Amino acid sequence: MRTGTYVALAFAAVVLDAVLAPQIAILGARPDFLVLVVVYAGLALGATPAVIGGFAIGLVADSELPDYLGLHALSLSLTGYVTAGLWDHLVKSNVLMQCAILFSASLLHDAIYYFGYYRNHLDLFGRFFVRYGLLGAAYTAALGALIYLVARWRQWEAIVGDSRA
Amino acid sequence: MVLQLVRLLSRNRQLSTLAVCVVLSVVSLVLPMPAKKAVSAVLSGGVLGPFKRLGTSLVEIGRMREDNALLRRVAVELADERASLLEYKHENDRLRELLSFFVTFEEEERSEMLPARVVGMPGGRVVERIEVDKGTLDGVAENMPVVVPDGLVGKVSRVFPHRALVEPLVSASSAASVVVERSRVRGVVRPRFGSATTLAGWEMDYVPARSDVRIGDLVVTSGLGGVYPPSLVVGRVTSVVQGPLTMDIQVDLAVHYSTIEQVFIITGRSVGARPTPEQELELLRELGLLPQDEAAEEEDHRDR
Repeated sequence: MRTGTYVALAFAAVVLDAVLAPQIAILGARPDFLVLVVVYAGLALGATPAVIGGFAIGLVADSELPDYLGLHALSLSLTGYVTAGLWDHLVKSNVLMQCAILFSASLLHDAIYYFGYYRNHLDLFGRFFVRYGLLGAAYTAALGALIYLVARWRQWEAIVGDSRA
Repeated sequence: MVLQLVRLLSRNRQLSTLAVCVVLSVVSLVLPMPAKKAVSAVLSGGVLGPFKRLGTSLVEIGRMREDNALLRRVAVELADERASLLEYKHENDRLRELLSFFVTFEEEERSEMLPARVVGMPGGRVVERIEVDKGTLDGVAENMPVVVPDGLVGKVSRVFPHRALVEPLVSASSAASVVVERSRVRGVVRPRFGSATTLAGWEMDYVPARSDVRIGDLVVTSGLGGVYPPSLVVGRVTSVVQGPLTMDIQVDLAVHYSTIEQVFIITGRSVGARPTPEQELELLRELGLLPQDEAAEEEDHRDR
C-alpha cells in the first residue's frame, strides 16, 4: 500500500518538477521535488525502493534533456541510497533534522548532477553549484520541512510513518 | 577482485540494486545520441507529455485570466478615452464652425462679436431663456443680438455681472422684423400657437396678399426695430397660403436651440449695415406697423 502511494507521489513529483518548479523559482533557484520524494522514500521505505524510485524518476526527468540521459537517474539513485543509510543514525522525527537531511540530499544530488553536466568545464561547475545548488538545496529543505510539518499535523503516514520501525 | 565484488553484491541486496542502477545510468549516459533521443522521446512523450501539456494549459489559463482582467481594464480606459476624444472632436467641429462663421465678418465687426458659452437653458418644450457665461463685466448689455453660425438666436434680456439671459426668437413674447432675402418682401416672424399654450410653429405676419414669397425662400432680419442687425438668417419658408388681404406664411427657424453650446453676442453697432432712422420709419410705415399720426409725431420730434 505504501509502495503504491510512493509510486503515485513519485509520478506527481516528476510532473510538479517539470511544470510547477519553474513557476515558483526564486532568483533562478527552484525546489527539487524529485529529491523530496527520493528522500522521503529512503527514510520511510529503505534503500532499495529509494534507489529504484530515484533511478526511475531520474530517467524520466532526464528525458527533458537527452544529451544527459542517465545523469539525474545516477544522482537520484545515489541520493536515495545515502539518505536511506542515514536512517539508522539520525532521528528523523525532528524537523530540523529533516531540513538537514533534505539540504544534504539536495546538495549531494546537485553536486553529482552539476559535476556530470559540467564535467568538461569545472570552473562553471563551481559557479553554478554555488549559485543555484546551495540556494536550490535551501529552497528544497524549506519546502520539505513545510510539507513534513503539514504531514505530521495531518498524520500522513506516507511521510511521517516508518514502515521499517 | 571481481569475484569478491560479486560476492559482496550478492550478499547485500541494497548495494546490488544501487550497482545495477548506477550501471544502467552510466550506460544511458554513454548511449549514442540517436538512441538517447529515442529513449527520451518515449519517456517524455509517453509519461510527461500529457501532464506537461496539462500543466502548461493551466499556467496559460492563469495568465489568460490575468491578461483578460488587464484587457478589460484597458478596454474601459479606452472607452473613456474614446468618449473624451469624441467630445473633443465635437467641440473642435463646433469651434471650427464658429471660427469659419466668425471670419466671414469684417475685422471691425469681429471686435464687436463676443463669444459666449451656453451654461443653462431653462424651459420645457419651448426654450424660454438661454443663460450664457458673459455679463456686464464683459461688456454685455440688454437687447444685444445673439447669433450662431446657423442664424439668429435672440437678444439679451437680462444682464448680470458674469452672466446674461438671452430671450430666444422661439419664446412666446419674441418677434423679429424680417425680409425674404430673394424678393425683399418684409414681414414679422413670431411664434404661432395651436391652442393657448401649444406652440404650433412660426409664422411671417404682415405680408400683403400676392407678395412674391415662395416655399424655400430664405428669411433674414431686416434691421428694423433697432435690435437685430440686418441679414441675419432667421429661417426658411415652409408653407405659403394666399389670404384675402395678407398671406399665411409658415417659417422653419434655422437655429436648433436644443444643440446650441456656443454663441456670439453682438456688442456693437458695426455688425451689418443698419438703416438710417428715416429709412426705418418709412419701412415701418410701409408695413403698417406705425400709425400715421405717430409717424408724424416721430418726425416732428426728430426735426426739433
